Amino acid sequence: MTEPAAIDDTTEGAAGAATRRLTDLACGFCGLGCDDLEVAVTGRAVRPRTACPEAAVLLRRGPGPPPGPRVEGREVPLAQAVSAAARHLAASRAAVFSGLGTDVDGLRGLADLAVRFGASLDHAGSEGLFRNLDTLQRTGWIAATLAELRTRCDVLVVIGADPRRAYGRFFERAVPPEALFTDDRTMVFLGSGPEAATRDQLAGHRLIEVPVVPGFLGEALAGLEAFLRGRGAAEFAGALDGALGADLAELAELLRAARYAVFVWDAADLPAPQAEEVVHRAAAIVAQLNRAGRAAVFPLGGRDNVVGANQVMLWRFGHPLRTLVDGRASRHAPDLYATAVALRDADLLLHADSFRPRPPPAFSAGPVIALAHPATEFAREPEVFIPVGTPGVDHAGTVFRMDGIVCLPLEKLRDAGLPRLADVAAAIRAEDGA
Amino acid sequence: MRVRVTNGRVFDPASGWVDAARDVLIADGRIVADDLPQPGETVYDAAGGVVMAGGIDLHSHIAGGKVNLGRLLMSEDRRAHPEPFGDFCGCGGGRALPTAHATGCLYSQMGYTAVFEPAMLGANARHAHLEMADIPNIDTGGYLVLGNDDAFLQLLAQGEGQDALNDYVAWMIKATQSCAVKLVNPGGISAFKFNGRSLDLDEEGPYYGLTPRRILGALQQAVTELGLPHPIHLHGCNLGVPGNIDTTLATIAAAEGFALHLAHVQFHAYGQEGDRRFSSGAAALAAAVNAHPHVSVDVGQVMFGQTVTASADLMAQYRNHRHASPGKWAGMDIECDAACGVVPFRYRDTSFVHGLQWAIGLELFLLIDDPWRVFLTTDHPNGAPFTTYPHLIRLLMDKPFRDAHLARLGPAVRAHTGLGEIRREYTLEEIAIVTRAAPARALGLADRGHLAPGGVGDLVVYAEDSDREAMFAAPRLVLKNGREVVRDGAIVALQAGSTFAAAPPCDPQMDARMARWFDEAIGLKAKHFRIADHEIRGGRGPIRLECRP
Repeated sequence: MTEPAAIDDTTEGAAGAATRRLTDLACGFCGLGCDDLEVAVTGRAVRPRTACPEAAVLLRRGPGPPPGPRVEGREVPLAQAVSAAARHLAASRAAVFSGLGTDVDGLRGLADLAVRFGASLDHAGSEGLFRNLDTLQRTGWIAATLAELRTRCDVLVVIGADPRRAYGRFFERAVPPEALFTDDRTMVFLGSGPEAATRDQLAGHRLIEVPVVPGFLGEALAGLEAFLRGRGAAEFAGALDGALGADLAELAELLRAARYAVFVWDAADLPAPQAEEVVHRAAAIVAQLNRAGRAAVFPLGGRDNVVGANQVMLWRFGHPLRTLVDGRASRHAPDLYATAVALRDADLLLHADSFRPRPPPAFSAGPVIALAHPATEFAREPEVFIPVGTPGVDHAGTVFRMDGIVCLPLEKLRDAGLPRLADVAAAIRAEDGA
Repeated sequence: MRVRVTNGRVFDPASGWVDAARDVLIADGRIVADDLPQPGETVYDAAGGVVMAGGIDLHSHIAGGKVNLGRLLMSEDRRAHPEPFGDFCGCGGGRALPTAHATGCLYSQMGYTAVFEPAMLGANARHAHLEMADIPNIDTGGYLVLGNDDAFLQLLAQGEGQDALNDYVAWMIKATQSCAVKLVNPGGISAFKFNGRSLDLDEEGPYYGLTPRRILGALQQAVTELGLPHPIHLHGCNLGVPGNIDTTLATIAAAEGFALHLAHVQFHAYGQEGDRRFSSGAAALAAAVNAHPHVSVDVGQVMFGQTVTASADLMAQYRNHRHASPGKWAGMDIECDAACGVVPFRYRDTSFVHGLQWAIGLELFLLIDDPWRVFLTTDHPNGAPFTTYPHLIRLLMDKPFRDAHLARLGPAVRAHTGLGEIRREYTLEEIAIVTRAAPARALGLADRGHLAPGGVGDLVVYAEDSDREAMFAAPRLVLKNGREVVRDGAIVALQAGSTFAAAPPCDPQMDARMARWFDEAIGLKAKHFRIADHEIRGGRGPIRLECRP
């Protein structure tokens, strides 16, 4: 079940504490930017009442106090952990900042830390982003934001797998039954088809399935593009002679007649060897359609404010994520500064993640500093662990929606004494003699 | 803290001081009446220097979605312009689209102290404000793009009264913390979403059946009745289209006595005379501006070299994308609000069209008589990066220099422009008007653009130099709020700037109406669209511009 729903939850809060109902909350977890969430807060306990399953898990908090900061496994006051982090950073020659799951202020703080100490920066969820940037930076594309999709899209083409598992409320948000500028919509699933729940949800729309095995998506899109350009299936050496060719030819006709077609994919979920090609083909098809009609891409992504992280990097350093800031200049090299690659030559890992208890990547060549979710479980105890608050739970903050245009204000729900990642970063940066 | 700037030649046309030998005294960040020197005051000797108020750019794309998309798309610009040498302050680089930090530093190094982002989309306003908060040393503000927003077009098409339109505009300005209203290709961006490829002033757009003239008229009335200090800031129909001078002249006539600001008019002053069907409409446009005292313009001068064009006008950018250099571009339909298009562009002095664009911009500067109604811009980065301003100033002030550059262009360009016959050279007084006094007045910034008591202590000392480009490229001294930020052309300190915003009153019933619109159409809560004061400039809030209905 992925609809927002009243969640039956009878957990009691702290005895005697009043329970507050908070409504219309914005959510920063998956990037879809839902802002109608509801929670009940009793003391430190947060019980989600209206939320998708992912948000429900990530919003829930118990009544107990969060853990305190630790250095070498020993609990210490925050100031001492901050000093230890600054000492490690000052001694480092090749630091890697990973995770980067935080709000805009947290990202600004991490950027400042990188300027002070030198580090490469990458986000834990940037793989899909870079598969998209491969096309966006090389050729560009025409995209749409969520409200354009909602109001205008009459043909939605979903490439690959059903996005429901990763973006639970996508269809509810993107193609509601009523739309301003279109009376009927056609949903096309080019790939593995809709799940049963999606099929139910889209019952009011026309549904077309074009089954394509994951490894053949690039060729299928090439075929679709060829049909749209008025070329036949002949150039595909028989590969499009069967049912797929017929389906694609029919889809090409449907797209030609569309008033506003939108292509959706989740680049992170596309099969690795051809993900970039799929994105490239989809953008090329949209470019072709725009010659005579209107169409746009809507790439899914944006978990844990990865889109915001990329935006902040661009206005701070002029480069996307996967950039090294080395004390004199910054240098962007996506192949070198992707977290996994950068860690091979690193002597320190600073892992920052305030949205979810994601452990840092494996690293043993130097100290690990974790500015992390309080519930993070570590495979090996980091040299410094500073539990930080979650934006939208422990403090207010700003995050970007996946389309990169709309920013949402997240609210503070409770006070559990957890610091903002931005404040911890500022304290480390301000440390004397580091 | 008292600061005295002495021995300089003061050019403050707003106060009537032109080449005046007088001290400027600043106490606690504000200019005060001159007084006897006191012990402990900081004295700057401006001997041999020209003293002006801080520069103000009222049309420069410095923050928000299209700017950041441009940085992403045009990584070549960033690679070609790395961080400056010296102590690294994390400023990043770039020229056509510098980082937020570099934008503040580069403007401040030229003596500018306030710059306005002229195309802030409501849906993207929070982002634009986040970026502006990271721009040091200059004050900022954003103009809200209206006139293609479905909420407004629906109200207008349904025949809602002017009061309801005014309430909508007021609600949107306050919600987005904007300081003025911008119209970009009124109705045209919306039309492109319905596959309209062009829309002229009196053409009915698809779906709503509204003409740009009607949209412009309704918003002009709203802005006037709400008492916003700046009139409608218009990027008109048919940008870049040969022959668009007719539309531009008709637009001026359509203003019907309302104040109107026409943005980047160079891109709207094209005829189609001659064998190449592309000619200068500058003389006709300048004559119209001269004859209509309620009209002001900024020029949007083109300079040769690599840049990026970034605009909310996706209809025009789609048309232009085939000229992209390097050959890539990005566009986006945005949130029932407007759109954006980013197209890298290289203006070449060997191109007839580009050469004539260059000449048309200069003709406009030189043929419009009243410097109080023409503002110095390149529509950064669309005509050229703002860092070309000192060169542009020299072109305006130095006829032999201008003629030498004109002589480098092809004979076809020279045959199509009357630029060589224009003898006018801008004076220092006129430069002070077009770069600070006039834009301050046009935006209603009562305490900027002059050096009279009550003004903020934003002051620049340029070393007198017959090479005006060198003179305006590296001021000897820049004070922001009375404190030194630039010395001898180099940044010596960083200061947080402020952001201007207006908050015209609106009927509280608009809240419920907008809540319904956002719920039903947009799928976002109106309360999350609204930007709180504490979100501006890191919690310091905006400087409120006064509205005078």
